[in-house]
Amino acid sequence: MKENPYNRQITRSPNHQMLNHFKTWIKTITFYEILVGMKATLTHLLHYKPITLQYPHEKRTLPDTYRGMLALLRYDDGTEKCVGCDLCEAACPSRVIKVISAEVPDEPTKRFAKEYYMDMTRCLFCGLCVQACPVDALGMTREYEWAVYDKRQLLLNKPQLLAIGDRAFPVREKKLELQHPNVAFFNVAFKHLPPKVS
Amino acid sequence: MVEVGIKIGLSITQIAVVMGVVLLTVMFLTLAERKVIGWMQDRMGPMEVGPYGILQPIADGLKLFFKEDIVPAGANKFLFSLAPILALVPALIGFAVIPFGPNLTVEIFGVQFQPFVISDINIGILYILAFTSIGAYGIILGGWASNSKYSLLGGLRAAAQVISYELNVGLAIVGVLLLAGSLSLVKITEAQAGGFWHWYIFAFPFPQLFAFVVYVISAVAETNRLPFDLPEAESELVAGFFTEYSGMRFAFFFLAEYANMILVSCIAATLFLGGWNAPYPGTVIERLGFPDFAWFEGVVWFTVKVYFFLFLFFWLRATLPRLRYDQLMRFGWKVMLPIALGNILITAIAAYLFPVGK
Repeated sequence: MKENPYNRQITRSPNHQMLNHFKTWIKTITFYEILVGMKATLTHLLHYKPITLQYPHEKRTLPDTYRGMLALLRYDDGTEKCVGCDLCEAACPSRVIKVISAEVPDEPTKRFAKEYYMDMTRCLFCGLCVQACPVDALGMTREYEWAVYDKRQLLLNKPQLLAIGDRAFPVREKKLELQHPNVAFFNVAFKHLPPKVS
Repeated sequence: MVEVGIKIGLSITQIAVVMGVVLLTVMFLTLAERKVIGWMQDRMGPMEVGPYGILQPIADGLKLFFKEDIVPAGANKFLFSLAPILALVPALIGFAVIPFGPNLTVEIFGVQFQPFVISDINIGILYILAFTSIGAYGIILGGWASNSKYSLLGGLRAAAQVISYELNVGLAIVGVLLLAGSLSLVKITEAQAGGFWHWYIFAFPFPQLFAFVVYVISAVAETNRLPFDLPEAESELVAGFFTEYSGMRFAFFFLAEYANMILVSCIAATLFLGGWNAPYPGTVIERLGFPDFAWFEGVVWFTVKVYFFLFLFFWLRATLPRLRYDQLMRFGWKVMLPIALGNILITAIAAYLFPVGK
């Protein structure tokens, strides 16, 4: 019959059990476990290598795909990219975005976002709105120091969001002639860029 | 008449110096504790105030000084104010009988004066035990008078902890007293002169090693430090007995805790590790030919021993988690008490068979 390796403890002789008991007893009265722990802490004290980052003085390097503050973008000629399609509002899981779109005067096929609000107190920085945008009008910046004393300062309107985009993305995308600004062509103008992850 | 005036003046100077040193040490300890525990846990500790955070105690002191002093609604105002004083005064008063250096007698303006002990009373250790027990009342009353359930639970725990551990402190000391034949801390220290093999932790006829371990563990419990900090258990009771305290009253409790740490370290050094005696016979400075300055070496050795214990407090705090309540009581009554009693029995027999001194 093959010996079951898990039964070894049981099949041991009583002498072994006595020895084990004795070992445990010695360990108890000499505070062996406590001494092992104290040795560990002392080793850390002697080989002192802090992992602390002194935050306001030192900052960690952000990963390339960092998802920070949201911003509205412009084309290189200064016109807003947003076409007021409401897809970001629909994509947002925590109802951060509120878009009020309107027709461009005298051009009934063109629309734009007359008002655009983001309640950043609720935003969870998932990036779904950026993925949903057909004209890449939304971007995620690398800003994260947005602590404020008044919560109301986090309810951002369109000029504020555009300002964030202006300071975070100094290089703007070129507006192509053939791209009608208000027709959602789903990024036909950016074939040179890798396709969006969806 | 003039003599009495000089005596009083000298005593007051001495008391002021000792209190100053103790309070400065407390300031230093608050920083040292945070730094040492930080280093042990791979953190940095305070780094903002001053270079490497060395001015942190001053910033803390200023903050506590200017904080609003709040008395919670429904609190017993008298006891609430009395409790911090009742905690602090006994912690500081115990230093009166600690010998910090060699037992010299200097004559200043025709007055006999002992520079390194404020008062060498012949029941020194009993005096300290009596007063540290009063310190526990500060904690218990503070917990009760706050009119808060967390404070009350902290106070209750402190009460139960004190009766389990005060007893062990007393019994652990008895062995040393049997060997020394005196209650005066100066005499006990002098009996341990002449090398580390005369210290009571190693001494003939019966080494007080077990008593020493029992004393250190009980001292940690008595000062409410981790792993026995049940009265102030942060994760269970907010801050335990001083949950409702703020400002200077909180600072008093804080000072009392650290002063108590220093006091029990001083007692442990005096009773078990030979006080100001160097671990070798005589002193180096005396051999070099300056017998007038040999006291300096004694004071340095005493400081080293006290700081070893204080470091041990930090070390234990950085290492161990808090005990559960029943574990604490079981350990106190079922483990430490029998060890302390057995130690007394064996020491008594040994001291009877091999009478030392006398």
